[in-house]
Amino acid sequence: MDGICAPADWKVGVDIGGTFMDFCALDTTSGRIASLKVLTTPDDPGAELLTGLDLLTEREGLDPACVTRFVHGTTVGINTILQRKGAKLALVTNEGFEDVIELARLAMPDMYSLFCHRAEPLVPRDRIFGVPARLRADGSEPLAPTPEAVREAVVQARGVGVEGIVVSFLHSWRNGAQETAVKAMIEAEAPDLFVFTSSEVWPVIREYERSSTTILNGYVHPRVAGYLEALENRLAGRGVPTKALLTKSNGGLMSAFEGRRDCVSMLLSGTASGVIGAAWLARQAGASQVLTLDIGGTSADFALIVDGEVQYGADERIGDFPLYIPSVSVSSIAIGGGSIASVDGHGVLRVGPESAGSTPGPACYGRGGTEPTVTDAMAVCGWLGQAEMAYGQLQIDRDLARAAVASLAEPMGRSVEETAEAILNIAVSEMFVEVEKLGSRAGVDLRDFTLMPFGGGGPMMGAFLARELGMSRVLAPRRPGVVSALGGLVADMRGDFLQTVFAGLDDSAVPQLRAAFDALRREGQAWLVAQGHDGAAQIRLSADMRYAGQSYEIETPLEPDWLSDPARMAAAFHGTHRQIYDFEDQNGAIEIVNLRLSAIGLTPKPDMAQESAVEAAPAVPARQVRVHLNGTRDIPLFERANLVPGAAFHGPAVVCQEDTTLAVPDGAAAHVDRHLNIHLEFAE
Amino acid sequence: MSDKMTLQVLANHARAAAENMAYTLHRTAHSAFVKETQDFTVMVMDRLGDTFAVPMELGATWYPGLTYGRAIEMIDDYCPGDVAFTNDPYSGHVATHAPDTHLWKPVFHEGEVVAWTGGHIHNTDMGGAVPASLSRSLTEIHQEGLRFPPMKLVNEGVFDAQILRIMETNVRKPNLNIGDIKALVGALNTGERKVQAMLARFGRDGFLSGVAALKDQAEAQAREILRAIPDGEYSFADYADEDSDFANPCRLNLTLRIRGDSAELDFTGSDPQLGSSLNVPSGGDPRHTILMVGVYYVLYTLNPQLLLNTGITRPFTCIAPEGTVLNPVAPAAVGMRSLTCARLRSVIFGAFSQAVPERMPAAPAGNNCIVNVMTHDERSGQKIIAAVNPVVGGGGGMPDRDGTNGSGADAAYLRNTPIEITETEVPVEFVKYGLARDTGGAGRWRGGLATEMAFRVFAPDTRITARNRDRSRFRPWGVLGGRAAGLAEMVINPGTPDARQMGSADTAILQPGDVLSLRSAGGGGRGNPMEREAWRVALDVRRGQVSEEAARAEYGVVLKAGEVDEAATAKLRAEARVHEGHFHYGPERDTFEAQWSEAAYTRLTDILTALPVQWRFFVKTEIFRRMEGRVGAEGVSAAFDETCARFPDIPQPQATAEAAE
Repeated sequence: MDGICAPADWKVGVDIGGTFMDFCALDTTSGRIASLKVLTTPDDPGAELLTGLDLLTEREGLDPACVTRFVHGTTVGINTILQRKGAKLALVTNEGFEDVIELARLAMPDMYSLFCHRAEPLVPRDRIFGVPARLRADGSEPLAPTPEAVREAVVQARGVGVEGIVVSFLHSWRNGAQETAVKAMIEAEAPDLFVFTSSEVWPVIREYERSSTTILNGYVHPRVAGYLEALENRLAGRGVPTKALLTKSNGGLMSAFEGRRDCVSMLLSGTASGVIGAAWLARQAGASQVLTLDIGGTSADFALIVDGEVQYGADERIGDFPLYIPSVSVSSIAIGGGSIASVDGHGVLRVGPESAGSTPGPACYGRGGTEPTVTDAMAVCGWLGQAEMAYGQLQIDRDLARAAVASLAEPMGRSVEETAEAILNIAVSEMFVEVEKLGSRAGVDLRDFTLMPFGGGGPMMGAFLARELGMSRVLAPRRPGVVSALGGLVADMRGDFLQTVFAGLDDSAVPQLRAAFDALRREGQAWLVAQGHDGAAQIRLSADMRYAGQSYEIETPLEPDWLSDPARMAAAFHGTHRQIYDFEDQNGAIEIVNLRLSAIGLTPKPDMAQESAVEAAPAVPARQVRVHLNGTRDIPLFERANLVPGAAFHGPAVVCQEDTTLAVPDGAAAHVDRHLNIHLEFAE
Repeated sequence: MSDKMTLQVLANHARAAAENMAYTLHRTAHSAFVKETQDFTVMVMDRLGDTFAVPMELGATWYPGLTYGRAIEMIDDYCPGDVAFTNDPYSGHVATHAPDTHLWKPVFHEGEVVAWTGGHIHNTDMGGAVPASLSRSLTEIHQEGLRFPPMKLVNEGVFDAQILRIMETNVRKPNLNIGDIKALVGALNTGERKVQAMLARFGRDGFLSGVAALKDQAEAQAREILRAIPDGEYSFADYADEDSDFANPCRLNLTLRIRGDSAELDFTGSDPQLGSSLNVPSGGDPRHTILMVGVYYVLYTLNPQLLLNTGITRPFTCIAPEGTVLNPVAPAAVGMRSLTCARLRSVIFGAFSQAVPERMPAAPAGNNCIVNVMTHDERSGQKIIAAVNPVVGGGGGMPDRDGTNGSGADAAYLRNTPIEITETEVPVEFVKYGLARDTGGAGRWRGGLATEMAFRVFAPDTRITARNRDRSRFRPWGVLGGRAAGLAEMVINPGTPDARQMGSADTAILQPGDVLSLRSAGGGGRGNPMEREAWRVALDVRRGQVSEEAARAEYGVVLKAGEVDEAATAKLRAEARVHEGHFHYGPERDTFEAQWSEAAYTRLTDILTALPVQWRFFVKTEIFRRMEGRVGAEGVSAAFDETCARFPDIPQPQATAEAAE
């Protein structure tokens, strides 16, 4: 940077959600951190960015010319899919296999219903064109596609007005040349159409998942590319000198320029960086086993941090479709602050699945909603509406909340407060089911974990959920509203690369594995250069392995020099298998399906200001407020801004801050650490 | 806790316990049956052994209404840490074929059993005459593998080594069985821990009254659904293609009587118990879960908020006379009962379709065919046994959408295997995997298309089994003017001079280069096809799902260069004949029933019911043998007389009646 910026060096993380765009700006020279929320502008995505930058300039003295890092997490890709507003695509595939996309993996949710059905595919059958072509599993090509057949498919695709073409052929995981040849034929015929092949997007074995991932990439490509281009222009127009970076589903970063074509990598941008941010905060606070809980208006997201490490998976779902690339594992349930409570024909109270969303939103937001939501129940119980919310952009009207909940209380013959408490209990129990499943799937005992709530609604319900799960610790970060934005600031550059090898694990596989590793390493290094990364780098190697006959692989971390030592790799796999599945088969033949490499460009971690520890001292409440928690009672309200390190208090209590409210139940001992996190501990 | 305001909290905790058990089992099991096919169940049960919670995402759909009570009572003196088990279809009527091994474990609270956790796994093999222990040709239970009546498998936390030794000695894949059983024990332990947590959370009394309230709530929901169904008697019959190697149809008959908020399912008139393994061992339990599976689907479809537990079975009474296919007496074989169960479900769907026509779909394909290949891999020099994709599907046309293609309805829990994985592991090469044109029954809402799969093999004497193949003769029916669907088919080398149609066979032997093509049935159509919007038919044609000829013949839609010719379509549709009658069965069943009328079956049932059980299937077969040129009840009587003349040892009905007195 030039001399003008000598006194300031700003790093800005920006994450967009359904209702708000969150800003987290760090002045690295002072260690000062500023956060901000701006209402989104759905009609002009990206415009809220300038509003936010202006406010940061105005309030915090940010100079756009002194921004040395700009990291963005965006939902533009995932919203394009959920709202089905993506590109009109054609799929070119093998003749005889045009229905692979519709058949998917056959099984479907809601298996007890005779009306169960699949979502309409993103590429309907009349835009899927089969071409005579075949590769075998060994990569040989008994039948090559002819230019005539491809041309015919392109002519028909054009006839129905497609914007782009996705190419996916059987066994291109083994040999991408067939797809590359078809792509060249298409580009020669129709240079105006964009083309993606499955082997360039993510060359993984499993035709449906690979095709689906490639289709997702093509489907969001025009909108994502347009959005990112506009973003870069807006930043440049404001005089921001640095190139924008994007948070990725894998929790890492890439350049916004890369994101224009590698769109599929940023579909879970914001949710993944939330977990990265949470992991960073947890590490600071000394917690290594963490369950994160991010509650928004329509959903709650959960993730596990095990031994300080974010957990990855390769089969996340985007709406109705599998996304088969490495992603930070996040589970979701459609219960959030906007979930609507109702009473069924038998008088049984339920919560969800309907949601008031962000429009009209909960009744207490005063935007026209009348149905009782979880947020309204919070307001009735007194956890909400005691102080200003969302940096003054939301007013809570508790009378509207009472009126909405009363519509259920009357027919049940209960008080409004009792009903509101019951709504909260049910909402917590719905989350309980999902979190218990997550723990069981991962094979961990959640009682060893600390719950870290964030997002707008997390801190309100987090401690109650922790109690339901038998967890004894809760860690409430200082700025729960901007954890995702913060995650962007602490993330590393990360590119993932894969070669499917599908070989038995023995000495004969060694040359193939070494060659695959060398190719992956070259790819990874080239990728880091292309992102403009010139700092320290790491590579991480792993393999997807399984016992012969299994059909799920498990990812086993490897060291590069183990590739010449099958026995060493086998030992690593046996160990990982035991860890996950509680057993191993020392005599079982092992198959190595994929070799994977992550190229990681390390970024400097921000050095945030922290208070030196002070003596423990009782916190002073601002006032007493009336809440309903097993009956009506007066409990202390603390202002978060006044809670200094060492401050201690006991539940029940309520802690108010700009962007959320922390509800502290009975039996909790609370104290503030030197990073201003609040720790709750429950005696067993 | 029986407070309705907080019942949902208890329901969620109960479901979480069940889901936890399912994940633990799925995660730690060894066999493909459990891990891939997900042929397992887990449940949490009350003091009586009645299921009160099941998982909603993992496992099979058959047992939310299962009670372990009878099996539990067959053992005395349970201690903490005990686990009991059985796989015997004829002891306690919990297990329904020998591969299904059920386990249960008491949950103690201060010395008192307050709940049970339980579940089943399908063992890959339990010994017996054939690998996997399942073949339609088997005729008695003793050929179907080792049987364990209810007994303790684990005593206070310690496995009974003798039982494990016996099992290891008698089954073909002992490691898989033992591994899966241990995984299930782990799941029961998980469930026990979760129930203990519920006891701590809700208290003993709160837990017990809450669990009772969950069953009451499910019962109330089921009764509410029944109350909304008009009172009356709704009769329906359907046929499996073949009852045994003798290849006569197997008829299931149901009279559904709705009376207020309860219902009777009377299966009188169904076939006698069979000399094959297609029998369904219900033990005559009026609420046996295996008779009720179709009902679960109907109830859940009518109210997706339904709690799935034994409470939903209370308003129902099933009548399945002893010695019939739905209540066989030992030692009838039962291994392939899942084929019959598919037909049993469609009989129930057909009866409810008459009761609430506006809210039920047409028939789903109803053939949950599992395909296995046994071949030789030249690359590795090894013998390979592998499952290829299931060939299922086509859901029936729904009240407001087309039937699901290639899956759906009561087949929605089955998964396929990626072609790329199969071709890498098994020496086969797929020629086609997709949907078959013109196989969905025509209708205002079209039936779901059939799945079509074809693959080539490379080694001599490659053996194929295609278990549960059905619907090659009797089509999935259409309703309310909708047409019956396309038939299932298995062909070797289709489209070549030496093509071989395999009929209803469920095995084939292939030679190098042979292509085997399998097609499921489709789903039935719903509503008058002439009322389907012409643009929708045109879209079906563009998507290759309906041919231009079928568009014209079945839907009265004329296309010109892909566009609807409005005038020609209007003209054709005006002339079209509407199918009268609630059901459309297709020509095969119409022809069969012209000979085998309702009266003919009533006569047959009378004849067979009067005979001792061991004579019934023999006499049925002999009567069928003599029906050539005969029709109706008189035809049956004549064929029976001829049978009696040929076999004078057949006990005379009067004689048996007197002997019984």
